[in-house]
Amino acid sequence: MDLQDIGAAIRIAFIYFTIVYLTGLGGLFSERSGIVNIGLEGLMVVGTVSGAAGVALFAGPASDGLELGPGGVVLGLLIGALCGALFASVHAVATINFRVDHIVSGVVINLVAVGLARFLSYVFFEQATQSDPGGPHLSRFDIPLLSDIPGGLGVAFQNLSPVVIFAALLVFPVTYVLYRTRWGLRLRSAGENPEATRSLGVAVAPLRWQGVLLSGALAGLAGGFLSVEVVGNWREGQTLGLGFISLAALILSNWDPRRLMVVAFLFGFALAIPLRLDDAPVISALPDQFINMIPYVVTIVAIAGFVGRVRPPAAAGRAYEGAGGG
Amino acid sequence: MSAAATSLPSRSRPPWLDAFVGQGLALLFAFAIAVAVGSLIIILYGENPLTVYGAMLSFGFRDATSLGNILSIATPLIFAALAVSVCFKGGLFNIGVEGQFLVGMVTASWAALAFDFLPGLTHMIVVLVFACIGGMVYAAVPGILKVTTGAHEVVTTIMMNQIAISIVKFALDGPLRFTKAPPGQNVDLRTDIFESSALVPDLGHLFGVESSAHLSWLFPIAIVASVFVWFLIKRMRLGYEARAVGSSAGSARAGGISIGSVQIKLFLISGALAGLVGMQQVLAERGALVQNYEAQLGFTGIAVAFLGQNNPIGIVFAAILWAFLSRGETALQIETDVPREFVIILQGILIFCVVVVYQIAKRRLARRELQRAGAEVGLRDTAAPSDLALEEG
Repeated sequence: MDLQDIGAAIRIAFIYFTIVYLTGLGGLFSERSGIVNIGLEGLMVVGTVSGAAGVALFAGPASDGLELGPGGVVLGLLIGALCGALFASVHAVATINFRVDHIVSGVVINLVAVGLARFLSYVFFEQATQSDPGGPHLSRFDIPLLSDIPGGLGVAFQNLSPVVIFAALLVFPVTYVLYRTRWGLRLRSAGENPEATRSLGVAVAPLRWQGVLLSGALAGLAGGFLSVEVVGNWREGQTLGLGFISLAALILSNWDPRRLMVVAFLFGFALAIPLRLDDAPVISALPDQFINMIPYVVTIVAIAGFVGRVRPPAAAGRAYEGAGGG
Repeated sequence: MSAAATSLPSRSRPPWLDAFVGQGLALLFAFAIAVAVGSLIIILYGENPLTVYGAMLSFGFRDATSLGNILSIATPLIFAALAVSVCFKGGLFNIGVEGQFLVGMVTASWAALAFDFLPGLTHMIVVLVFACIGGMVYAAVPGILKVTTGAHEVVTTIMMNQIAISIVKFALDGPLRFTKAPPGQNVDLRTDIFESSALVPDLGHLFGVESSAHLSWLFPIAIVASVFVWFLIKRMRLGYEARAVGSSAGSARAGGISIGSVQIKLFLISGALAGLVGMQQVLAERGALVQNYEAQLGFTGIAVAFLGQNNPIGIVFAAILWAFLSRGETALQIETDVPREFVIILQGILIFCVVVVYQIAKRRLARRELQRAGAEVGLRDTAAPSDLALEEG
């Protein structure tokens, strides 16, 4: 093991971070508004297939589809986000309008996503479980200064997708909106005490709808990033439970966008270890599978209160009976 | 509304019948919506819904082997849905059936390889017991964490499901990896093939079902399990306590029930049932644990449990209905131009309609109960604030 490997591992951690952070932020908006969303994995799955389809539609391969270049790729990724939001609206209808148990609805979302992805794939790509590899992606770039760090660590900051930077910078607007704007305050109050929110003349249902739609859009974007920017095509099962890792990161971050950033990166690094630091001392003695368990074990420990205690939004998971009346 | 409330007591059905009819109607209604939405998709796809549904029906009920296929698809779903429903009766949501069944497959496979000297049926019984134990141990963790630390079982079991995937990978890559290299070059990871004494014997040949359907004795075992769960919930002390805890933890505690002990027991029973979920594929179909095992059975079990309204007998029929739809995938592929994935969409719409319609029906029932109770104590107008809230939306 040398610095080159550590740099490479950090670079992979950035990629995982992007997926986990985007999806985790989605979960954050939903749960802060009071709607528990364990369907993040399913929303991401729909994002992977629809994002890839969107890019095929707007950015070619040369034979079919428009060729809008980078703009087309961005449009394609937005299609992924849009489809994620559309699919999340199922969760919103069920939990907000019909007051179905949030967990039940989330399970259904995850269950249906697999079939929906295959169906969409069949419609778009005429094959059920993957699209053609080697699709277009945004041009990679090196972060100035950081990518010049000598000794191999600079590798971490080279050849990155712009979406990585987008995700990392997202912390600023999200934190501002959530804690410094009227909408953010109302969203959080809908998740903490919907009755009080309503008594102040603020409708709870629209806020929760917005939270859930945002969760779908962000998870869908993360899915599109995975299939388009990371892998280069859609493949069934490529999310590999990253939606659940995002959920774990969200819980561990105590539903805070700044802490979520840290947790998402640490989880990303843990996932990168078996890929790049396999021969490091101690790690080489551990089976890869044990390292892959780390994020989940840490989350269980945290939720059980062995180390500190995490506290979800007070009203998350609880139906607001007045929701229909707004 | 007050007129209806006052006239209710004289000619009302008994509450259980009310609930039964209400649930039955809700299910039928949900099914009708799902079929209708499915028809819409089929029409958009340029096919005739009658042809497509007809193909599914005629293919499913074509012959004994096809029926056997449906029952063998239903078998693991029955175990999984029962596992979910046992916990649900006690107000617990065991999403961890998925992980528990994966661990059960690992422990069962280990037992199948380690006890290969055991004769005949004892070998198989030991393997099944180890499947149950694996599921139980894995289910005990969220149960104990829930009772001792208050960690929500939904979060812990979601995490443990993901850990279980790694456990299977670890087992196949390490301790249980095949020693006798299977023929072929790039073989998937798997265990060695089990001795035939570990396998669950075929049942189908007695009824003219071809062995390709893999209808094994696990199906009757699943039926027995559902009768057991019914007996447990309706007739045994634990079942009574579970229902008490599930409907109101506060009153259960006031009634002297130890909530923690009930919850842990429910988790253990649920885990044991979950352990058997994987046995159809390991002991009746493959005769080994393979890398590309059929996953998601635990999650599908949740859907089936809801379809069966968490009733052990209803679950058997729900699992068979679900399996019939799954079997329809093959029919679509052979006889129509609609992609086979349509079935999964149809199942998804069905389960979505069921949870929504069931939720609405539950609220209506609750409102009617409230009215009945109000009428019994002589109240003219039972529109309590909470009742008003139910009226909305």
